[in-house]
Amino acid sequence: MINKQIVYFFTGVSLAALVAGCAGARPASIDRARSSLTQAQQDPAVVRYAPAQLSEAQATMTQAENVWNSEGDREEASHLAYVAEQKARIAVAAAQEKAAEDETQRLRTQREDIRVGARTREAELAHAQAEAATDRAVAATTRAQVLEQELAALKAQDTERGLVMTLQEGVLFEYDKADLKPGAMRSLEPLMTFLREHPDRTLVIEGHTDSTGTDSYNLELSQRRAEAVRNFLSSHGISADRILARGYGESYPVTTNTTEAGRQQNRRVEVIIAHEGQRVAERR
Amino acid sequence: MHVSPRVQKWLGLSLTCGVLGVTGCSAARPPEAPVAQAELAVRQAAESKAPTYAPTEFRIAEEKYQGAQRAMSAEEYDLARRLAEQAVVDAQLAQARAEAAAAQKNSEEFRSTIKALQSEANRPTTP
Repeated sequence: MINKQIVYFFTGVSLAALVAGCAGARPASIDRARSSLTQAQQDPAVVRYAPAQLSEAQATMTQAENVWNSEGDREEASHLAYVAEQKARIAVAAAQEKAAEDETQRLRTQREDIRVGARTREAELAHAQAEAATDRAVAATTRAQVLEQELAALKAQDTERGLVMTLQEGVLFEYDKADLKPGAMRSLEPLMTFLREHPDRTLVIEGHTDSTGTDSYNLELSQRRAEAVRNFLSSHGISADRILARGYGESYPVTTNTTEAGRQQNRRVEVIIAHEGQRVAERR
Repeated sequence: MHVSPRVQKWLGLSLTCGVLGVTGCSAARPPEAPVAQAELAVRQAAESKAPTYAPTEFRIAEEKYQGAQRAMSAEEYDLARRLAEQAVVDAQLAQARAEAAAAQKNSEEFRSTIKALQSEANRPTTP
């Protein structure tokens, strides 16, 4: 038993000596290196990015195989195979580095595109907002101008209560009458135009008299006159719902009733058009 | 102890071969150039990203270079030359792998930046 072990031991030692010193089976390191090199050579990225390193590895590999084939020098061949395999690995690593650098370059461009795109979008948005603001400003200016023209046409005053248009008795009524004169139409035309163009606005029609006659008579006369105007407007397409007709008699003179000129001024109809989105505050 | 004639024959053959192999392969002159190259390669690797990004490969290169120096002192010149030559490629590989890893990390960072930018761009712009 012991003898047998010793025999095996010496056989092993002699085989190792044989392998180390003399020609025998082709060293595994050569096959390993060859296979690593082949793998690297078949990788398109390595061929593309690290051709110099690859051919260096190839040269050392050939050297290793030559040393083995012609001289049978196992140690030197194994050593050269190791160097060749390391060179193949260097080629792979170099290719990975270059590929990553290319990728980084591509991503850098992409990032720049995204940033430019974002800036462009921001600029476009800002431009659109600026344009919209300009449009609004222009529209507001236009509206203001139109309103100004309309006010001029109405000969109305822009007051806190609304747009106030004062029509002297003479343009609408005969003295002491509540029926509109045939010529009243012409005086009311600008008002109707305005009301048609601003269908959301409501208005109050106020009848006023001078102090001649009794209070109740004047109150009634002014009320009838206000209603006459309202009826006229509603018969011309202005909804009566928008119109409040009020007679105030002699309660709200604009000037003295002691002169004929003053009384004439006090005999009037006032049309107050509400500001946009508001209602006219009634007199109390 | 008893050794069979067959084993004796094997022993004799292997001993002869071993002696031949050792004497046949030993070089007479010290491999100063390869050792100097190894020193340079290891120093360059030490100054590169290798110690950080490829520490294992770098350590192997260092050990081979130190082995080469020891073999020089022991006048084992063949061993010294091979260790030196291996230390050169080991150091170069450490450096190449480290640079590849650094480049890949860099491109990875770009990728995540882009991802962040894209999700930002896809968000509705109106506040």
